[in-house]
Amino acid sequence: MSEYVLELKGITKIFPGVKALNNVHFQLKKGEIHALMGENGAGKSTFIKVITGVHKAEEGEMFLNGQKVDFKGPRDSQNAGIAAVYQHPTSYPDLTVTENIFMGHEMMKNGIIQWKKMNDEATKLLKQLNADFKATEEVGALSVAQQQMVEIAKALSTNAEIVILDEPTASLTKNESEELYRIVEKLAADGVSVIFISHRFEDMYRLASRVTVFRDSQYIGTYNVDEITNADLIKAMVGREINDLFPKPEVTLGEEVLKVEGLSRLGYYKNVSFHVRAGEIIGLTGLVGAGRTEVVESVCGLTRADEGSVYLDGAKVTIKQPSDAMKQGIILLPEDRQKEGLIMSWGLGRNVTLPVISTYAKHGFTDEKKEQQIAKQLLEEVDTKAVSIFDAATTLSGGNQQKVVVAKALAQNMKVVIMDEPTKGVDVGAKAEIYQIMGDLAQKGYAIILISSEMPEILGMADRIIVMCNGKVTGELNRQEATQEGILELAMEKSK
Amino acid sequence: MAGKSGRTISATPEKSWKKMIFGWEGILILIFIAINIYFSIVSPSYQFANILREMPKYLTEVFLLLPMVYILVLGEIDISVGAIVCLSATMSCMASNNGMPFPAVALVCILVGTACGIVNGIVLINFTELPPMIVTLATQIIFRGIAEIALGSGGSISLSNADGFRSIAGKVGNLVPYIFFLVVIAAIIYGVVLAKTTFGRNIYAIGSNRIAAFYAGVHVQKIRLICYTLLGFMSGIAALFLTSVLYGANTTTGNGFEMDAIAMAVFGGVSNIGGKGRMPGAIISAFIIMCLRIGLGQRNTNPQVILLILGALLILSVLLPNISASLNLKKKTVK
Repeated sequence: MSEYVLELKGITKIFPGVKALNNVHFQLKKGEIHALMGENGAGKSTFIKVITGVHKAEEGEMFLNGQKVDFKGPRDSQNAGIAAVYQHPTSYPDLTVTENIFMGHEMMKNGIIQWKKMNDEATKLLKQLNADFKATEEVGALSVAQQQMVEIAKALSTNAEIVILDEPTASLTKNESEELYRIVEKLAADGVSVIFISHRFEDMYRLASRVTVFRDSQYIGTYNVDEITNADLIKAMVGREINDLFPKPEVTLGEEVLKVEGLSRLGYYKNVSFHVRAGEIIGLTGLVGAGRTEVVESVCGLTRADEGSVYLDGAKVTIKQPSDAMKQGIILLPEDRQKEGLIMSWGLGRNVTLPVISTYAKHGFTDEKKEQQIAKQLLEEVDTKAVSIFDAATTLSGGNQQKVVVAKALAQNMKVVIMDEPTKGVDVGAKAEIYQIMGDLAQKGYAIILISSEMPEILGMADRIIVMCNGKVTGELNRQEATQEGILELAMEKSK
Repeated sequence: MAGKSGRTISATPEKSWKKMIFGWEGILILIFIAINIYFSIVSPSYQFANILREMPKYLTEVFLLLPMVYILVLGEIDISVGAIVCLSATMSCMASNNGMPFPAVALVCILVGTACGIVNGIVLINFTELPPMIVTLATQIIFRGIAEIALGSGGSISLSNADGFRSIAGKVGNLVPYIFFLVVIAAIIYGVVLAKTTFGRNIYAIGSNRIAAFYAGVHVQKIRLICYTLLGFMSGIAALFLTSVLYGANTTTGNGFEMDAIAMAVFGGVSNIGGKGRMPGAIISAFIIMCLRIGLGQRNTNPQVILLILGALLILSVLLPNISASLNLKKKTVK
């Protein structure tokens, strides 16, 4: 028998117009947790889909326990004991946990579904995962972390020997991530082999024993996690060295630009106050669900606060909808690029100028020439990797999409730029570029509010850090005095 | 100013006339020409003057098509327009029979239509979670219900004095009906507004991604309200001209108009999912369908067969772009 449970050799996958995988290799040992890393678009997800039989590779061979296999579809790989948990839980929100777990392989007897048996089995699986919810609950009512557990339970229900996790921690809080680590370690201890895709170095160091890196659809190498340094790994992923991930410039702070006083919204946040000065970057952090996004959404008029006031340059302003906020010079760059930030089917240029079309319009008629000129200039300013301003937003990688979102803020006379998780799902190379842009903006005198769950980012970029917990501001830390532990302590403070 | 890497991004657009000729609009123009050549060969009565004479009753639907394109590009649908036409026509006939002067009658007709559109719009913008299909299905039943109550047991009303209506059904040079000019003017206005103004751009933005549009400062609900109101307003105008052809109204007036308008738009390349489609395509498609109906009607084709042909065309029109897209993809694939 082979040393490897799964081995892929010389896999090449071609999509119309692009080689998504070019002669890549991969070896997975039994009971191993193996990290798969690389920038967005490096081919990780395609590779996973080749393993699970969703895509068929044009070239290359795949061996399972030393035997050559040829999957015709996802069903084949499932039967062979491979289960994948994708980045976005693909569950059915209106169905129960049991129904989700056994979707596609229900327990039947004479063509009748054995509900009792399935529920018992599901409860057993959930217990194994230490889950704190029942098998009869509707999946839509669960948190993202819990939904992920359902997905893992689903994988286990098929008696999988190989479990693939695609960015499982992307939308989890720190505590939830810990829970996931524990589950993954337990799986490995039980002899299940795990392939783990993640952008977080933390995940990899915590879990994996080996890491395989892809770059530009090519196999770069497989390393023992103990033996590779952070810098070498980044170099392998990006193809160049990144000296300073957080290029925070020294900025002389200007006048106070935005002041929020006693803002409350029932059920979301209470009595929130803070201010930002020109050239300042403040970090707004806390656990997911602490009310950070909800506060800035009210500041920008997406929702209405029940109480409290917003001052701009010392004068009280009334903001009823996003267009009011923009008129005043406040723009929110939302967390979800694809749903909230960009119109994905549109060209980049139109996306950038959408908030400002009326500024350039004459008697309601759009000035396309002028718009195109502005869009070109702004997209170049943020260094977007695109051929033309008419490229659809869908054709860009996550990092470049984020740059287009940022370019929107430059399109008009903005004073306050609020960035909600600007580097979520963005690879390390593009992250550095986004931090660079953020620093440039501060230098130009923009007041910046950075909402983020990523500690290094908050610590690296913010002048001041405001921590929220359960809808309340629990503390404020200076750049000098802030530590990861200090922030966490404030973020987890029990509400009184 | 170029970025740090010195990378430049092109801002040269693809020529739009090229897109037009090689795109769906180009195909539609070919179909239009082909149909006209075919009918003028097989049917001796398929002549310019005859076509223009038969046109007015079909042209009324184009009034509905224009704002319907807006609604479809928004990613929404309004199936109450037929009922609005019925109600407006009924009310204007009643007003006329009560001795109102024609300008006042026309005003009633248009106001009733506009009011119905506003009702649709207000319900939809205040309860944004409601699907437009269901809301306008409900208002369709209500509007038609009101019309039926007004029409009473007979279920129909005839104009006692149709002089005013006859005046708008006139022709220029005894050949081209007034309504034709009005349709052309309205089509140009609606087309230009959709393609060239910030209002039109915002409609596309909402239809492509309503949430992102809202985040970008687009007045989503205001624009939706305006579009539904416009559709009501145009329904009123359509009702006015329909009455000028029919000299009355009954419970079936305007039946199926909403589906005709939607069909014309979809055949013209307007996506019902929203964000896609242009006015020229929709208008060419309206004229194709009009010529088909007139041509087949002249050949004494069974009206039901005409429906079959129109249905088949509709399916073909939504299939063709998919087929050509997959062909394009194959061409692009790297060997």
